[in-house]
Parts: sequence; C-alpha cells; structure tokens
Amino acid sequence: MAINSLHVNGSATSSDWQDRYFHIDQILDQPGPRTDPSFLAGDEVKEFLRDKCKILVIGAGGLGCEILANLALTGFKDIHVIDMDTIDISNLNRQFLFRQADVGKPKAIVAAEYVMKRVPGVKVTPYFGKIQDKGDDYYMEFNLVICGLDSVEARRWINATLVNLVDPDTPESLKPLIDGGTEGFKGQARVILPTVSSCYECSLDMLNKPTTFPICTIANTPRLPEHCIEWASVLEWPRVHGDKKLDTDDPDHINWLYTVASARAKVFKIEGMTWSLTQGVVKNVIPAIASTNAIIAGTFIHWDSSCCNEAFKIATSSAAYLNNYFMLIGTEGVYSYTFEHEKREHCPVCGGEALELSISREWTVEQLIEMLTEKQTIQIKKPSLSTSTRQIYFQAPPQLQKATLPNLKKKVSELVEAGGEVIVTASTLPFNLSLIITYT
Amino acid sequence: MASQDSQDIETATTAIQPDNKTRRYDRQLRLWAASGQAALEAARVLVISGRATSTSILKNLVLPGIGHFTILDHDTVSHADAGNNFFLNGFDSIGKNRASEAVPLLAELNDSVEGCTDTRTLSAVLDTDPAWLASFTIVIAHNLENALLERLSSLLWSDPARPPIVVVRSAGFLGEFFTQFHEHTIIESHSENPPSLRIDKPFPALRDHALALDFDAMDPTEHGHIPYVVILVRVLEEWKKSHDGKPPQTTAERQEFKKRILAMKVKSDEENFDEAEAQAYRCWTETKVPSEITTLFEDPAISPEALRQKPSAFFHLLAALKEFTDQSETHTLPLTSTLPDMKSDTTNYIDLQRLYKTRAEEEKHAFKSHLRAPVDDTLVDLFVKNAHALQVLRGNQWGAFDQDRAALADALASFPKETATHLALSALFALQGNHPGSSPTVEQLRGQVQSVVGDGIDLPEALDDAIGELARAPSAELPNTAAFLGGMVAQETIKVITKQYIPVKGYCVIDLVDTWTGMIGA
Repeated sequence: MAINSLHVNGSATSSDWQDRYFHIDQILDQPGPRTDPSFLAGDEVKEFLRDKCKILVIGAGGLGCEILANLALTGFKDIHVIDMDTIDISNLNRQFLFRQADVGKPKAIVAAEYVMKRVPGVKVTPYFGKIQDKGDDYYMEFNLVICGLDSVEARRWINATLVNLVDPDTPESLKPLIDGGTEGFKGQARVILPTVSSCYECSLDMLNKPTTFPICTIANTPRLPEHCIEWASVLEWPRVHGDKKLDTDDPDHINWLYTVASARAKVFKIEGMTWSLTQGVVKNVIPAIASTNAIIAGTFIHWDSSCCNEAFKIATSSAAYLNNYFMLIGTEGVYSYTFEHEKREHCPVCGGEALELSISREWTVEQLIEMLTEKQTIQIKKPSLSTSTRQIYFQAPPQLQKATLPNLKKKVSELVEAGGEVIVTASTLPFNLSLIITYT
Repeated sequence: MASQDSQDIETATTAIQPDNKTRRYDRQLRLWAASGQAALEAARVLVISGRATSTSILKNLVLPGIGHFTILDHDTVSHADAGNNFFLNGFDSIGKNRASEAVPLLAELNDSVEGCTDTRTLSAVLDTDPAWLASFTIVIAHNLENALLERLSSLLWSDPARPPIVVVRSAGFLGEFFTQFHEHTIIESHSENPPSLRIDKPFPALRDHALALDFDAMDPTEHGHIPYVVILVRVLEEWKKSHDGKPPQTTAERQEFKKRILAMKVKSDEENFDEAEAQAYRCWTETKVPSEITTLFEDPAISPEALRQKPSAFFHLLAALKEFTDQSETHTLPLTSTLPDMKSDTTNYIDLQRLYKTRAEEEKHAFKSHLRAPVDDTLVDLFVKNAHALQVLRGNQWGAFDQDRAALADALASFPKETATHLALSALFALQGNHPGSSPTVEQLRGQVQSVVGDGIDLPEALDDAIGELARAPSAELPNTAAFLGGMVAQETIKVITKQYIPVKGYCVIDLVDTWTGMIGA
C-alpha cells in the first residue's frame, strides 16, 4: 500500500524496492558480446530508462496491451498511449488488460489504469482519440514511438509525420519508430529510423493486395457466398436503407446482410453461407490470437531498450540496426526470417524526390487516378491532383470536386505537358507525392 | 415498401446472432474452428513454476480458453519476482506462495477456465504421486534444474500414453523449447497447397461434360463464361487423341497447347481463356499421391497386427487410404469437392461444382468400404478433405540429442549459431546443477560445451556470442524474452492440443539480440 501511495507524492523511483530490477539490471549493468559500443552500461542507462525516457504507444489493442505491460515491467515509467477504439467482446480472447465488464469503454483508458494498478510506480497517460488529433509538438516530446496498429492508413500517417519531424540540426528530432502486426500464427516487426533506414512507405509493395470482386460478378454472376455478401452490403444496403450508414460493428446490421445474402445464395444454389463468413467479409476480419501478439511484442522490447539508449546515437551507430525487419510464420513449425529492408529510391515520404511516371498519351485523368489507387508502391485512396498552375481533380470540398469533375474524362496529356509535374495529395496522408509525367 | 421488407427481415432474424462465447472467441475460431476449440476446452495443462515466463505462457493459453491449468510451485515470491512478473500483485505478493499469487490473476482473464494451485515440490510429487503428473493433457516446465527435469521427462517418456512435455529454457536474451512426444498425427495441417483438381485425369462425368458442350453454338456471353477447368479438360482430351494419348511434353508442345487455348477465343477479352492458358500446366503435371503421403503408407502403424494391438482411428483411416489409392484406377487420393473460384457465370460454375461434389461423395463412399473399423463420419469427411496434407510426427526423448555426438557435429556444421546457442544453454543448466541462478564463467561454459561435443570438434564463433550473453545474464528472466517465449510455447501447445497446424519437432532456439529463431535436433 505504502508503495503505491509513494509514487503519487514523490518521484517514481522511490517506489522501487530492492532487487525490483534484478533481472533487467543484468543486461543494463554490463554489455554483451554483440552490444553496440555506444551502449553506456550502468547507472546512466538505468536513469535514462526509468526517469527520463518518454515513450508513446499507438494502439491499445492486441499488440498494444502486450507492449504496455512489457514496457512497464522493463522499467519505463513515463508511457503514453493513444487509441480511438472502445472495447468489443471479440477483443477479450487476446487483449488481456480488458475484462467482460470493460466492454464499451475506451481501450486507452482501461489499459492505462490496469497497467498502473499491476505495476506500481509506472505512469501511463491515455489519450482516447485519433493520432491525427495531435500535432508535431506532441510527437516531438517522445524519445520513441511504438505502433500496434491494424490500419495501413494510420501507419502511413504516423510514419510520414515522424519522417517530416526530422531536422538534421536537431538530433533529438529523430524518433525511432517500432512497428508490428499479426495475422493468426504469423507476424512481423520492424524498426524504422526515420530518414536513416527504410520507412513504412518504402515497403508498401510488401502488403498483400486486398481481395476485391468485380462488380459484374457481384451483380450478375455470383459463384461464392462471398459474392452474395458483397452484393448485400455494396448494392442492397444502400438501395434499401438509403443514406443510413452500414455499421459493421452492429450485429443487427450483420444480421440483415446475412439474411439478404443467404436468400440470394439460395436462389443461385450457392452453398456455404454462414454468419461468421458474412461478418468476416464485410468487416475484413483478420484472425488474431494472444500468443502471436506476445511474440511480436517480445521482439519490440529488446529494440526499445536499445533504441532508448539516447535516441540520437542511433543515427551514428546503425550497426545494431542492420536487421530491421523480422517475419514469423508459426503454422508449420516455427519459421522466421530477419533481414534488412532497404530504403526505396523515390520513396514519396523519405526519398524526397519526384517519381517519374511514363503513361500513354491517350490516358484520361480517371485512368491515372485508378492507377494511383491500385499500384502497389503508391496505393493512394481518393487522390487529388494538381499542377503548379491548375487544379486537375479534387476529391473535396464539394464545390471544387464539382468544378474539376469534367477533367476526369480529359486526357492527361491535354492538361500536363511532357516532363511536367503533378502533385498528388490525399486527406488521409500527411505528404504530397510529386509525379513527373512523361508520355510513351 | 423496401423498408417494410427490411423490417420483416430484421424481426425474423434476431435469433441468428452468435452467442457470447462465439463472439468472444471469433478471431481464433477462424483459425481452428469449433473442433479445435473443443479440444482446448477439454485440455488440462500443468505448468511447473509460477515465474514470469510460465505466467506469460499461461496467459496465452487461458485467454483462448483451455479447460484447466495447474501451477506447481513450492517457492515464495522474491523481490525480483515481484518486479518482473505481470501476474503478481507487485510488492504485496512478496513472501507469499508464487503459485497462489499468480493463479487468481491468470484465472480472471477468462471465467470459463479453471485454475488450480499446487504448492508441493516437484521432487515430492515425483516421489509420491507420479500418476497425478500423468493425468494432464500436456506438461510445460520452464528452467527446471537438470536432475528434476531428467526424472520428470523420463517418467513421461516411459509410457507413450503419458502426456507430452514442453521443456523451456531461457537466460537473458537467449532461449529454447523442446516438445517431447512419441507420436503426433495431424489431419488438419492447414496446408497452403490445395488438393488436385484432376484435370489431367478427369473423372468420367467431368470428361463427358467437357466433351458434350458445343462451344461453337454458344452465344458470346456463354462462351466467355465456360470455366477454365472445362476448357482444359476438353483441349487436353482432344490433344491426346492426336498425340498417342499423351499430354504435351516438350516445351514446344506446351507452347502449342497454350496457343490452341487462346485460338479458341471468339472475343479478345474472354478472361476465362486467359485463365485456362495460365492454368495449362495442370494438364502436364500428373496428379499422383504426394510423396509425403506415400511415405506414410510405409508406416508400421498401419499393418493389420499393429492396428489390432493399438487401435487408432487415424491409422485405420490411413490404412484405408492406402488400399483405396492402390485400387483406384487413377492411383490418386479421393477427390475433394473444393473448387476454387474462376471466371464463369453462376450456372456453369455451380454445375461444375456439383459434378465435383457428386464424384467426391462417390469416392468417399468407396474409401469407406476400405475401412476395417467404425470411424465417426465427421472424422472421415475431415480426413478425406485433408488427405493430401496428412502428417505423422514421431518425436524424441528430451536430452537424447545432447548425447548423440554425430548428430551434434552435423548440426554444428549445418546450423552453427542455432546449435551453439542450444549447447550454451545446456551447458549453463548443467553447470548450475542444483544451484539455479548461479553464474558460471565463460571458460566454464566453453569447457562444458566442449566436453559434450567431444574434444575433436571445432566450436563455431557463434558460441562466443552465446556464452558471452549467458555469462552476462545467467539468471535474468527478461520481460521481453518471457513474452516472446510465452507466445512461442503457447502457440506450440495449442498446435499439440488441437492437433491442427504443425508443431516444432526438436529444438526451437531463439536469440533476441539479433532477433532470430531456428530449429535443430529434429
């Protein structure tokens, strides 16, 4: 009891009982054979870790719960966590900081409270909201950012934000970013040193392409239950419900889709329709278990203790970070692969150069937009296009969208001269992509 | 009117929603389904010690819903335990029994899991109550001292009916685990290789269907929706007529074959013919029983005597499978009805699917006639569906690898860092003996490794990395290593209990300094 109350009034270290860090101190007190020479073993690193280092955890879901507990046990005392979600019953099979009674409450707040209860002396500051709510000043405060996110858009956003933050004259502006993800028995983890090593945008082409079905299959020639589900959600829902938005977290909505899709499947004699499949398709459910999250978070924490050893030194001693990408497949034995992912030339985020793009003179603006959306290395949803002198096409605001709509059918070559520059922006991404257009 | 329809549907379907349990386990049921979940819920898991790694493992087993767990631990919570174990009440737990403190905090993760505490010493249990140890589905032991581990693993190995044991060891950034089991059979290996569609050996109804279609008389829409399977069967049958009954063999012939397919297009945008061209290799890739499965047919466990002495549904099914493929005209596994999606319209696709389904039923029926013992129909279905990816693993006794100098020498040559790390961990525990946590020197560790592998063997440089780490942190249970191993060992335990996916055979060695894992000693 006394231990807990001490940290409220006094400094965090006063709650540290003797031998509390017996285990972790063994690796902080002396270097190992492969420890980077810049690692300053002893009291200095302990003091930095326990009293000075401020860490941001983005996401309090499957990975986030593991990361928070591990950071607290490792001795970090000033941890911040951001998450915009509330707790759902389907989180409870792995997100171990939450209980049945917490369903509906904000993840960040419940997670922070639980970790503080279990690990005395640690301060976890939650923020229930979006990462985009915070600006550069906020991100500048941290020594390290760790991501356990399930969205590609959010990852691209934080990656670009941290790359933009780097000021070569201010070493502290370089914030190492540790990122990971899991799917079933498989997972991956990586370290990004913004501008120094390969960034999230550099590896965009490693993402699996999402499954999409042609609209004619959905509308006219369904063959699989998935096609009937897409028909129910993409075509029937708006037809029947008008402007009412489909909420994939609302079981009643899933019920409706399931019933409508089942009726269609029956007409077409398609077998295999289930509630779970319906939910899986419309929500794009990814299988998830506690053990894989624990493995991936386990790789993180080693990186943090090294990353936290005064973040600015990382830029000068990259040797320890050669292997920046870890992949795990646990379905057949345990297979893992650790490698250095290299920076992508012309990366729109950390490359800083314009991307040269050669297209047909006959291509319309619409075709170019479709290409920007689908191309593996670009994948910009709803891009807006402009040159230094004119607006080509804007997705928003509505007036501008309306004004530029006729351009969609025009040929790009009518609007941009050969060798001309097109600036691509999107509301979801904090960066511009610059294209130099040439014609074949 | 439309909204009236939807209202009716909504009222009619409120009962469809899955129950709370299904919703809670949704993300894992998509991996191992209700059958895997039932196996987990029937499982009783014994974990020896309530330290940080053990509780990390258990957390990942309680969350997905094992039936029961017991922590066996006689020790009290130390100051150090209270600092590195999330499943203790911090400072307040110090001095209390470690299992008693950890069990309630683990059990609260999932109300449907029963958690028990046993505060006896393992040595007392081995002396007085070995049957209790054998009553579990699986035993997990972390950083057990050598002498006790040898007794425990020998006891469990001495009777194949006794549970498997996962032996887990770690110090600092290094760790390993080894699952001791006699035999592990897997039907649902969740292989990513799909079964054959048998385009090269079409069953009569498929062949007749493909040949009966009048491609020329079709309107362009229908022509553009003939499934590629049908196109390939037809083109191949026609090809064979003019080629002595053989499929295209040379590269030139295969090019010619593909050209024929594309020449059949009546419109240039017929994607079904493009798909047929891309899949044409199926015509000259002979459908045979996969070599992994023919190897299983040699298994002594399927002999009539073996099946009499040791009845087993799996091996009865395997024996029937062998007989079925021997007698089948095409020498193939039973057909499965799983048809991938392809360019087509509903009618053509569903008709084709029905042909496959009917034939698969017929072959399953034929397969069943070879069964010499009654087997539950659901199991037969599952077996036939997964016949191309069955697995039989036969394991080794814990410790056998370290006594096999030839195998160690081979492993050192092929997997130097993995083997060196394993040997370093073995040496650490051998030297610590009855004094867990003591700190041997680098020289002592190296000497111990050398004595195990033999004097003539050169030790790789990687050994210095491993023993240097162990000398640095000989008794450190780091939160990250505990989390990593906790995840790994739980994954393996789930695979063993559910008999789904493929567990590691031999040692899985991990190094979190450079973040790698490796497998040796299978």
